[in-house]
Amino acid sequence: MGTARILIVDDELIVRESLGGWLERDGHEVDTAQSGEEALEKMKDTRFDILLVDIKMEGMSGLDLLKAVKETDPDVAVVMITAYGSISTAIEAMKNGAYEYLLKPFDPNELGVLIEKIIEHQAQALETQFLREQYKERSRFESMIGQSRALQEIFSLIEDIAPTESTVLITGETGTGKGLAAKAIHSKSPRHEGPFVVVNCGAFPEHLLESELFGYQKGAFTDAKTTKKGRLELAHGGTLFLDEIGEISMRMQIDLLRVLEDRVFYRLGGTQPIEADFRVIAATNKNLEKAIKEGSFREDFYYRLNVISFSMPPLRDHKEDIPLLAEHFLHRFARETNKPVDQISREAMDEMMLYEWPGNVRELENAIERAVVVCKGRKIMPKDLPIFQPEYAALPSDKSLKEVERAHLISVLNENEWNIAKSAKVLGIDRSTLYNKIKRHNISRPS
Amino acid sequence: MNARPKNTILVSPVGDLDLDSEFLHELCDKISEIFGCECEIMPLLKEIDFARDPVRDQHHSTLLLERLSALAPHRVLKVLAITTVDLFIPVLTYVYGEAQLGGKSSIISTYRLQETHSAKVTPATYQCRILKEAIHELGHTFGLRHCPNESCIMHYCRKIQDVDRKSTELCRYCKVLLSDEMKRLASE
Repeated sequence: MGTARILIVDDELIVRESLGGWLERDGHEVDTAQSGEEALEKMKDTRFDILLVDIKMEGMSGLDLLKAVKETDPDVAVVMITAYGSISTAIEAMKNGAYEYLLKPFDPNELGVLIEKIIEHQAQALETQFLREQYKERSRFESMIGQSRALQEIFSLIEDIAPTESTVLITGETGTGKGLAAKAIHSKSPRHEGPFVVVNCGAFPEHLLESELFGYQKGAFTDAKTTKKGRLELAHGGTLFLDEIGEISMRMQIDLLRVLEDRVFYRLGGTQPIEADFRVIAATNKNLEKAIKEGSFREDFYYRLNVISFSMPPLRDHKEDIPLLAEHFLHRFARETNKPVDQISREAMDEMMLYEWPGNVRELENAIERAVVVCKGRKIMPKDLPIFQPEYAALPSDKSLKEVERAHLISVLNENEWNIAKSAKVLGIDRSTLYNKIKRHNISRPS
Repeated sequence: MNARPKNTILVSPVGDLDLDSEFLHELCDKISEIFGCECEIMPLLKEIDFARDPVRDQHHSTLLLERLSALAPHRVLKVLAITTVDLFIPVLTYVYGEAQLGGKSSIISTYRLQETHSAKVTPATYQCRILKEAIHELGHTFGLRHCPNESCIMHYCRKIQDVDRKSTELCRYCKVLLSDEMKRLASE
């Protein structure tokens, strides 16, 4: 059973309240809107996995809302709720991309099964995307590069904390290199000959994360045909890197806290205790203290993780490292693509120094990769960089970070024909961050 | 000086129940054991026609919960009402019960707990189902949500067979979450 973020859109208060309560008890995060207009407003700030929409509403109809949602966020599952007399509209909704329709009143089991099916479906899509990205990450692994004071301080800190056994919490924006810092700590630690095992906690639905971490005994559940070691076991003698730790469920926090306290764990369905001989490094781009106040992160687990902590600086705070990083990426991608590109023009470098890089080092890396591919000569010119597409260049007067970011988002989205997954990858951010940015900047897809 | 903390859970029969008082006291004991609170039996609702939908011939549980919360004495921490009428919430055909998540009131209906999947349901099985549903709905008022562990009492059961299969206890995760909530309530 997974949980989802659900928005109920219905103009009847009693439906919103009672259905909302039912879904909350089922563990879902629920919000409500009394009209299509309010739903679109809420979706500017929050990304929902599922929308339950009443077809007949005052003002914007459920069908119009469906069309508007599908234009900006095609991955959201929209379930239409309809009365017996409106089945033809429901079928029309299916043609317009609705996931399913429910005839009211419906059996509670019908709703439960449908939501589980949607969660499963969305989790599979996410996992596939994660596996692709993981493959790419593996093939690109680099050591940390930087001569700026900000990074020198990080290097010095890593030197100091690496020899200890303490748990480390690394915070920082997406793309700042939290994973590289974790790897660097491992490489300089007495455990460097042991494995460095990465778990992207945000990429797995809860039940998969549990078996992925703890492993399972043959027969522990229907699909457990053989015994499988979990990542905790695979990290024996080395370091366990828990990336996106802010995404894990309360249940998993309870389990991991117990492992960190007792230093033993069990495979699912297993009775033999297994020694937890690994060092834990966790990373997040979330504000965990805020999450504690909101009740989504356990305080005791936070203090167990936060023995030593540091924050990776955003690239805009150590721009002096851009030339070095850019040169490094240039040579690597030129080698990988077998292209004779070996220079970055002065103009291109100047523009890169002016840009704010909201996606940080990962965005710079992706920009150089693209530039190497599209570059016609030996030298990268401003036009080769994705940040200098026409939409971006058309903003000569207002160079505020907000406007520059907006223009860059439009540029990348148009370039990728509004394919969110592809655009997010190019920007070096995750899809939900991109959705949030689209909404925050009020960007809409050109008709 | 701090006011005395509320520490009473009220089991509140609605109308005539097909349950003897011995069972209701057993239920109270189990509630006290799980939630660590005192438990009393006291009717609160004299009539429930205000919540009846004549077309569906069912009672709207959300309205009943609102009334229960309004009527509960101040010293009461949580309320569990038990009724024999069939309950619904709009858009759903029926519910076994409903609770205010992290709130004061909960209600269960015995109407569908007589359902049988094999031979005639025995009084012991029927009472065990009532006990499980009662603890389950009360669990919601302490902020507990549905649990994926099939043997945990907070597991959401799609079929009556699943209710029979689950235990009368909270799993270890739900125990931790309940204990967190108890600590929070004590500090209020």
